[in-house]
Amino acid sequence: MLYDIRQTTSYSYAVPVRVARQVLRMTPMDRPGHQHVIAHVLDLSPEAAELERGTDFFGNGLTWLTLDQPHDYLQISTRSRVDVNATPLPEVSATPSVDDVRAAAAGAFDLGPRSPVHGLFPSRAIPVDAAITEWTSASCPGDRPILEAGLELMHRIKDDFTYEPGSTIVTTTPHEAFVARRGVCQDFAQVMIAGLRGLGLPARYVSGYLRTVPPEGQARLEGADATHAWLEIWCGAEAGWIGLDPTNAIPAGDDHIILAVGRDYADVAPVDGVIVSSGDHLLSVGVDVIPVER
Amino acid sequence: MGKGGFVSGADQRSEVFEKAAAESLLGGYRTLPGVRDEMLDADGRPRPHWVPFLAALAGMGPEELRRRFGSADRYLRDSGVFYRVYDDAGGGERPWSLSHVPLLIEQSDWTALSSGLIQRAELLEAVLQDLYGPARLVADGDLPAAAVAGSDEFLRPLVGVKPAGGRYLRLYAADVGRGPDGRWWVLADRAQAPSGTGYALENRLAMTRALPDVSRALHMQRVAGFFQALRTSLMKLDRTGEGRIGLLTPGPLNETYFEHALLARYLGFLLVEGEDLTVRGDRVNVRTVAGLRRIDVLLRRLDADFADPLELNARSHLGVPGLVQALREGGVALANALGSGLVEAPVLLAFLPRIAMRLLGTPLKLPHVGTWWCGQDAERAQVMEHLDELVISSAFGRPVPVLPSGGSVLGADLSAAERRRLSTLLARRGVELVGQDIARLSTTPVWTGERLTPRPFMLRVFLAATDKGWVVMPGGFCRISSTPDARAISLQKGDRSADVWVLADHAVADASLLPSPDNVKVRRSSGTLPSRAADNLFWLGRYVERAEATLRLSRVLVGRLAETGDSGTSPLVSRLLGLLGAWGAMPRDLARATPARYAVAVLTRRDVPGALPQLVLAARAAASVIRDRFSPDAWKALVDLETCVMAPINAAPSEADAHERADAALRIIAAFSGLASENMNRLTGWRFLELGRRAERAISTLRFARTFGEHGVPGSLDALLQVADSQITYRSRYVMMEARGPVLDLVLLDPDNPRSVAFQVDRMGDHLRVLPGRDHDAPPPLWERLVARMRAELAAATAESFAPAWFDEMEKVLMRLSDEIAAHYFLQGHSPEMTMTLVM
Repeated sequence: MLYDIRQTTSYSYAVPVRVARQVLRMTPMDRPGHQHVIAHVLDLSPEAAELERGTDFFGNGLTWLTLDQPHDYLQISTRSRVDVNATPLPEVSATPSVDDVRAAAAGAFDLGPRSPVHGLFPSRAIPVDAAITEWTSASCPGDRPILEAGLELMHRIKDDFTYEPGSTIVTTTPHEAFVARRGVCQDFAQVMIAGLRGLGLPARYVSGYLRTVPPEGQARLEGADATHAWLEIWCGAEAGWIGLDPTNAIPAGDDHIILAVGRDYADVAPVDGVIVSSGDHLLSVGVDVIPVER
Repeated sequence: MGKGGFVSGADQRSEVFEKAAAESLLGGYRTLPGVRDEMLDADGRPRPHWVPFLAALAGMGPEELRRRFGSADRYLRDSGVFYRVYDDAGGGERPWSLSHVPLLIEQSDWTALSSGLIQRAELLEAVLQDLYGPARLVADGDLPAAAVAGSDEFLRPLVGVKPAGGRYLRLYAADVGRGPDGRWWVLADRAQAPSGTGYALENRLAMTRALPDVSRALHMQRVAGFFQALRTSLMKLDRTGEGRIGLLTPGPLNETYFEHALLARYLGFLLVEGEDLTVRGDRVNVRTVAGLRRIDVLLRRLDADFADPLELNARSHLGVPGLVQALREGGVALANALGSGLVEAPVLLAFLPRIAMRLLGTPLKLPHVGTWWCGQDAERAQVMEHLDELVISSAFGRPVPVLPSGGSVLGADLSAAERRRLSTLLARRGVELVGQDIARLSTTPVWTGERLTPRPFMLRVFLAATDKGWVVMPGGFCRISSTPDARAISLQKGDRSADVWVLADHAVADASLLPSPDNVKVRRSSGTLPSRAADNLFWLGRYVERAEATLRLSRVLVGRLAETGDSGTSPLVSRLLGLLGAWGAMPRDLARATPARYAVAVLTRRDVPGALPQLVLAARAAASVIRDRFSPDAWKALVDLETCVMAPINAAPSEADAHERADAALRIIAAFSGLASENMNRLTGWRFLELGRRAERAISTLRFARTFGEHGVPGSLDALLQVADSQITYRSRYVMMEARGPVLDLVLLDPDNPRSVAFQVDRMGDHLRVLPGRDHDAPPPLWERLVARMRAELAAATAESFAPAWFDEMEKVLMRLSDEIAAHYFLQGHSPEMTMTLVM
């Protein structure tokens, strides 16, 4: 599936900002087995005094920028053309058992970006949590194929949790969302990751876009799409990382465009920055994911 | 062999004498069963290198010992050595308590320990080079990837980043203990930002006060050379040619902040917080009163995670945004490099012997505590089987659910329920845990006031990297357990420390080669006063001066009452109260109290923002963030002031009590002023302190003159002379009663009266003219014009000028001047804000 994706992120500041240093994670990258980036443009207004591009440890596209003139707004616009061609899921019963995955991850001799070890440990935003671990363990007997366990967990979250925008904020902990049994995509991904890690099973966080299909007979609304989050579970050396979307109870497929992967939200946050200002700011984000006819 | 010298001769006879004297001290010294003692051998005889020391102590007698040990304690108390205790209810600071008996180590023993630690430092450097580079240790199967990735100190943004100068470690420390077998064992490695060098230095200074003759006679090796080596090696990384090195501290709330300030002072480094630094291009700059100045080298005491909110912990407010980018471009050298803490993880101990063979081709010279990582099936099974003989610890030194508050636990101490929890955790997340042998420590004598008694200890040894290899500090920081339990795990909260004497075989080299600590050159280039330090100095000056003015007012208030028995209705007393009220020094809940009670409230009430205790605390807070800039004496004066002001006062204080308190506090302030102007090198920093004091004094004196300078209030001109401390000058000049014209002239206009407004304005003008960053070819900046305007006003004024509007105008210009100084030289209170991140 071929997509044109536009994202516009606008900050407006009550008091002009004198100096800003930021790092953006808004550039989709090639992901073998999932997507190929054909073109990508990132525009800034006002223009940056310094701008540099690179990739981080996990291979995510980064943009570092400095603005050193007073400014009362910042607009970041990206346009990307991405060809998504997701690998079909492996045969569930052919994936290794939970016990084997745990042992393989702990004993891995690979420190590279795709190694399972980076998804094995608690991270700042996703600590290991006793309650979530116990809840998760019901789906993960040691001899069960890992993907079967993962798919069941994904469905349990979809069934047991209420999707409710506004019920949580970006700093809501997995434990809080778990206790409330509600949240948004970020919370569901974090809860599932926390549970898997609690059992010694590698899982990592994915940010990206999801193509939304308008209701029958209605036109797609401009800017109505949103950024999305899901997770990947490590299914052994052969199958590697497999994307699961607990918000929709579907494996990540041709509708999922990957923006960044990491241990948790902190590794993939679209904007991290420090500004020198004495005032407040407002933020708005608009996203369009438009399938392109071939 | 005795190392004699201070007992006459070193012949047979004196040796016998020494032994006898030594033994007199040892009555009742019982070594612990199965535990090695540093002082006594297995047969209960003093080891030879302790004999001369014991003889010297015995020769002094208890009285002399008390006196000498007391002088060491006084030194530490006066220098304000403290360690901030986080778990204290008030987040308080507690003094570091010194055990007066140093740990004595023989040269040959020390040489072997040093050589083992040097090998270890080299090995850990090689491990970091590999893990942040090609990671061959992992790929080749010598170290599981999870043992690296599990560490919070494996900083992914730093993978592939070559540290400037080519090294990760420049200061390394190891905690060692001596086992029952007599060998030194490594208990833990410190590589992130080792603390303790400063405390070791303070203990040394204290002990050489107490026992200068003994330390010389025993050939105690000096430690100053180590600090010089560290300094020289860091200096070589500076490419600005200006010799600017920063010591990056998290700030005064950190538990070892005292040490940061001390080291910065001692080494001549700039004490900087993240806020003082800014990245421009690929360079790190320090914000100074003279503008941005490049800085190439930072001795880091800030944990890596906090170092850059852009790429490390986004919630950090302590770091420097963009620092990681600057590191990538080689724009700044950090000692130690970000990510060095990786090799502190206990899990590494399980693999280090194998890694040593691999990277160095030789076995480790020093053993370390036996460690098994529970991420491996066989090791996990072993640990469960031998649980009763092991300590269970976090593999990565972070909190783990089954362990008490992130520490370690003895397997034998676990209850059945805890064992079940541990067993479940091991099955699921064995990667988080290690099992370790129970290390047993040797004991060293501590002085109880009457005799010696054995206590287990742990020794931290420090190493600095130089061009010619690693240099070991001949000494260290010895932490002593408060209980006789010799298991290392019990020493997590040692409450005493001791100096460590390495005894050379021969007399140590002359001080000209290895200078004593006092002679290490402190260099500070005057152009690099960080803006934040200038800001705090300025405010310190203002708070101290306001405290002085408040004290003088209260003293006059009490004095009036004592002399005349005035009630609150006298116009003069209501003026005094009005002025104190305007400064917020007056409690609101004391309506219609007697003036004496008001005075006491101003002096003692802690809950009133403008009263004395709050002013003194504010002064102390401002001073505490620039502690590196004060001499110990000036610092002590501030501490004394706080002690004086905070001391409890009688439940029903008399006027005499209030008078006494005010006098005592004023005397300390006078001492502080003297010490500040005598001892602070008269560089830029001193000028900002002066500017603050002069500005505040000018403002208060204007207020005084305005309040007490009017006609027709009995006693008020005399009060004005008192609060403006100008009585003596007045009496020496005028043989008459106070008259309004001459009094106001003296207090406001007389440029030769050091208390007059004119004098303050002149001094401010002098300081502002020579501050850095002033372009003498450009038109004078606004603050100079403001000073010129005030000077003209004061020159043209006569006693008739002093109408309310005149005072208003002068005060307004002074406030404006203060604002201008702040706007130009300080950070203007604009702290960086984090941008909100997007909700997904």
